Amino acid sequence: MVESLFPSIENTGESSRRKKPRISETAEAEIEARRVNEESLKRWKTNRVQQIYACKLVEALRRVRQRSSTTSNNETDKLVSGAAREIRDTADRVLAASARGTTRWSRAILASRVRAKLKKHRKAKKSTGNCKSRKGLTETNRIKLPAVERKLKILGRLVPGCRKVSVPNLLDEATDYIAALEMQVRAMEALAELLTAAAPRTTLTGT
Amino acid sequence: MLEGLVSQESLSLNSMDMSVLERLKWVQQQQQQLQQVVSHSSNNSPELLQILQFHGSNNDELLESSFSQFQMLGSGFGPNYNMGFGPPHESISRTSSCHMEPVDTMEVLLKTGEETRAVALKNKRKPEVKTREEQKTEKKIKVEAETESSMKGKSNMGNTEASSDTSKETSKGASENQKLDYIHVRARRGQATDRHSLAERARREKISKKMKYLQDIVPGCNKVTGKAGMLDEIINYVQCLQRQVEFLSMKLAVLNPELELAVEDVSVKQFQAYFTNVVASKQSIMVDVPLFPLDQQGSLDLSAINPNQTTSIEAPSGSWETQSQSLYNTSSLGFHY
Repeated sequence: MVESLFPSIENTGESSRRKKPRISETAEAEIEARRVNEESLKRWKTNRVQQIYACKLVEALRRVRQRSSTTSNNETDKLVSGAAREIRDTADRVLAASARGTTRWSRAILASRVRAKLKKHRKAKKSTGNCKSRKGLTETNRIKLPAVERKLKILGRLVPGCRKVSVPNLLDEATDYIAALEMQVRAMEALAELLTAAAPRTTLTGT
Repeated sequence: MLEGLVSQESLSLNSMDMSVLERLKWVQQQQQQLQQVVSHSSNNSPELLQILQFHGSNNDELLESSFSQFQMLGSGFGPNYNMGFGPPHESISRTSSCHMEPVDTMEVLLKTGEETRAVALKNKRKPEVKTREEQKTEKKIKVEAETESSMKGKSNMGNTEASSDTSKETSKGASENQKLDYIHVRARRGQATDRHSLAERARREKISKKMKYLQDIVPGCNKVTGKAGMLDEIINYVQCLQRQVEFLSMKLAVLNPELELAVEDVSVKQFQAYFTNVVASKQSIMVDVPLFPLDQQGSLDLSAINPNQTTSIEAPSGSWETQSQSLYNTSSLGFHY
């Protein structure tokens, strides 16, 4: 009984020896995870990456402009909205390409382009039945999720390609996507400023 | 010799012999009656068999005692027929011919039943003894474990990070495993050693770390406490960034068709120089440019733009190159459109 109550010093030494590698392994894993996160954040914050992205975006915009000039001149509103959508798509694709497909959201953006092309070739199917009635039925049958789960679901919808992803992976993707979006905003802002500055004043003012 | 033979003592012995023989016959009759009862009774219950056994054993004892008395009485009488063959102290009495071993009919009937019952009892008793011994050893081990756990609990009072789920699980386990002789010490918070609880704890820690990383990225998220509030802030920030991208793409769409050669005129070097200057000067990410006016359909209303309005951003000092150069070598960057 006494021996069981007060274990010997040798036993304690052995137990500490056994536990040490486990602790070190977990610490190493934590350090690696931190390093990966820091690298991903630094990658998007570096000036070089922003320059590369901006240059690629300019090239893409030039191609978009060439396409838009070849198409027939419709109403200005439609042209602007279509061009804006096209520019946004190109900006997203360039961002995904600069991410080099290492993340889910980048792969999803690059894959969405292929899907869009396939959808164009397919014929639009006729919708049968009232959509409103169906929606009403589904809304009534829905079970309310807890607040945190509901918000995680919304975040999963916002981050491309992360609808059916576990919570830790979703948070990782969200961190990377936010950093990439910040860089995209900075680059596009700088590009817009550059274009407005480079353009003659008469074009903007309308005189 | 004849007087000795035909005497009162011998007569009394004869009378005794007769009484013993009669008793033997009477006992045998009783045993036969018992046999008949056993044969007639269809349900041979163990209680009845025990009673029968008891009666049989009593009869045997009676017979043995009576015969022993009879032998003692008749041992001193009659001639000593010691012919030198056997031991000298042995003598054959007159009534030795009357000595009959009683036939145990009950033993014949119940021998097999008794044997099987004895074997069963032995088999039952052994595991019972074993279980008792095991219980004793288990009690000792449990007492030792309790003392160790109490010592550990005192040393690890600081570990109170686990959630209420783990404490509930441990309390449930305690109620299930509780026994009469074993006093269960309730596990403290942060000391759950179940696989599921450990995995859940690791998962929660991982999520909390990643939430901290997000908290560092998203501005104004340090003020908010709780996961729900943080997620709200993150969602709002992502939506804000996406709206900014939309707005900037609209702006570029407005600028792009009107500025026919603006994109082509800008060289790479100038663009990079301007880009570095703008990025260095700009600290805030949010765009301060006023939104373009939209009509009812949600598209840009270009007629509403103020014609006298000029852009606040001036071009950097230095002459722009008018010659159109190739903007950027995309193959070197590895981007193939």
